[in-house]
Amino acid sequence: MESLTQHKVQRYEEFVDRRLKPDLQHAIDERDKIFEQQKIFTDLRRNIENLEKNSITSLRTLVNLGSEVYLQAEVTNTQRIFVDVGLGFHVEFTWSEALNYIQKREERIAKKIDEYNQLIASIKAQIKLVLEGIRELLQLPAEKSLPERSF
Amino acid sequence: MEDTRRGTVTSLASLFPVEEAQKAANRVQDAIAEKRAELDHLLRFVADNNNLINLVHKLPEELSHEIMVPFGKAAFFPGRLIHTNEFLVLLGEGYYAERTSKQTAEILGRRGKALDSQVDSLEAMIKDLQAEANFFSQTITEAAEGLVEIREDYIEKDSHKEEIKSGPLKQHTSDLEKTEADNEEYARIVARMDELEKEELAAESGIDNEKDEQTTEDVGDISYQRPVGSKPHNSEDFHKSTPPVDQANNKSIATGSAEKHDNPDIADQLNFASLDLQSNVGEGKNAAAKKVKFVDHRKPLTHHEEKTVKATTASKSEVQHQPSQPSFNSHKAFTGSIVEHTENLKTLNGQSSSSTSSQVSGSRPSKPVSRFKMQRR
Repeated sequence: MESLTQHKVQRYEEFVDRRLKPDLQHAIDERDKIFEQQKIFTDLRRNIENLEKNSITSLRTLVNLGSEVYLQAEVTNTQRIFVDVGLGFHVEFTWSEALNYIQKREERIAKKIDEYNQLIASIKAQIKLVLEGIRELLQLPAEKSLPERSF
Repeated sequence: MEDTRRGTVTSLASLFPVEEAQKAANRVQDAIAEKRAELDHLLRFVADNNNLINLVHKLPEELSHEIMVPFGKAAFFPGRLIHTNEFLVLLGEGYYAERTSKQTAEILGRRGKALDSQVDSLEAMIKDLQAEANFFSQTITEAAEGLVEIREDYIEKDSHKEEIKSGPLKQHTSDLEKTEADNEEYARIVARMDELEKEELAAESGIDNEKDEQTTEDVGDISYQRPVGSKPHNSEDFHKSTPPVDQANNKSIATGSAEKHDNPDIADQLNFASLDLQSNVGEGKNAAAKKVKFVDHRKPLTHHEEKTVKATTASKSEVQHQPSQPSFNSHKAFTGSIVEHTENLKTLNGQSSSSTSSQVSGSRPSKPVSRFKMQRR
């Protein structure tokens, strides 16, 4: 009996370590990537709004040539902006169009983040479940949710 | 020979267990892979750097360039590169320097050199790791095959003559007997040493010459050995003969010397053996005598035939060499020359028949030179 229990416990633990934990890690990484994208678009939106607010027509920037070597660049007409819409395409927008697009984009990103959040939560729940099972097998006292609380 | 020496046989597999060696090899492989990845990284930097240098050279050719100016990570503006000769270079820690194209190219060139040296060091490390990996894989195959490492102590002197008994000097009775009676002989040797000393003193002058030739080899190696004793060779015998110790001694010596001729190793052994004796006695003579004995014991197998032959010759030579020995002595620490050959000779001849200490004792009275002994002591 003991050995059987041991065996089970071991299998559960392995499952947790091999499947669930990496899954969790993976999901978290993906979510972080999405966070980054979200940040990018948020910043872009803010910049464009800024441009619009101050009616900036031209600006000077420093362009990174690589290895942190910068060269001055001048933008004469800021009315047209090319936005990356994925799959290697950039679409020429005016400010308002660009803002519109960015808005929609942001919504999509937020939805994705939600999905990932749910996935992560479910994986965490599964891990907890398996650990509980192991505890039961080992008949360790249940840690939390002790109903008896004498107040 | 049996094991006079204590030897250890260790299987390589025990020293380097196969699994562990395997694990170590894997670890090394992983390390190599890591380094390789870093190397790739660095090489990419180097390539980028070179490209940048080209670009920096080309840009000032035009006043301005039409480009798409990035605006954040996801948007571009169509624009122009202006001031194409002014480059802002990051020096690190938030410090920038505005430089011309040529100066920027120089900076980048220096950066490239630093990268190259890094690449070189990384490659060297990879090589070392590979050598290590090779060693491990080799050990693994060897251990798998069951190679064993045999280690034996080098026994210089034979305090355990018994061990050597295995190689009996069949032909020479006296010598052969001795090997078997090593232990006893050892005890006797100590007793004889004193006598030998006396005898040596007497016969030193005569024997030295001969001994020198033979013993030089041995003696040379072992400085502390007594001049006389250093050579188990016939010459030594003479030395010993001068203190006409036991015939046995002579014979043993002879055999020893015989051995020595055959094997320089034996000589060494003899030397060492003699050293032990010598230390006790402090005189070359004794050492020689003792050495021979040891030698006999040590390698009875290989040399017994020769020994036997030589023993006989040795004894003979002893007689003959005695007069010529004094030169030999000079090489050894033994300073005096053994003068009284004749006496020794007689004793030797008489004693050759008997191989035990009795001979020694017999020879003792014939030695007049106690004063040498005192000097040497």
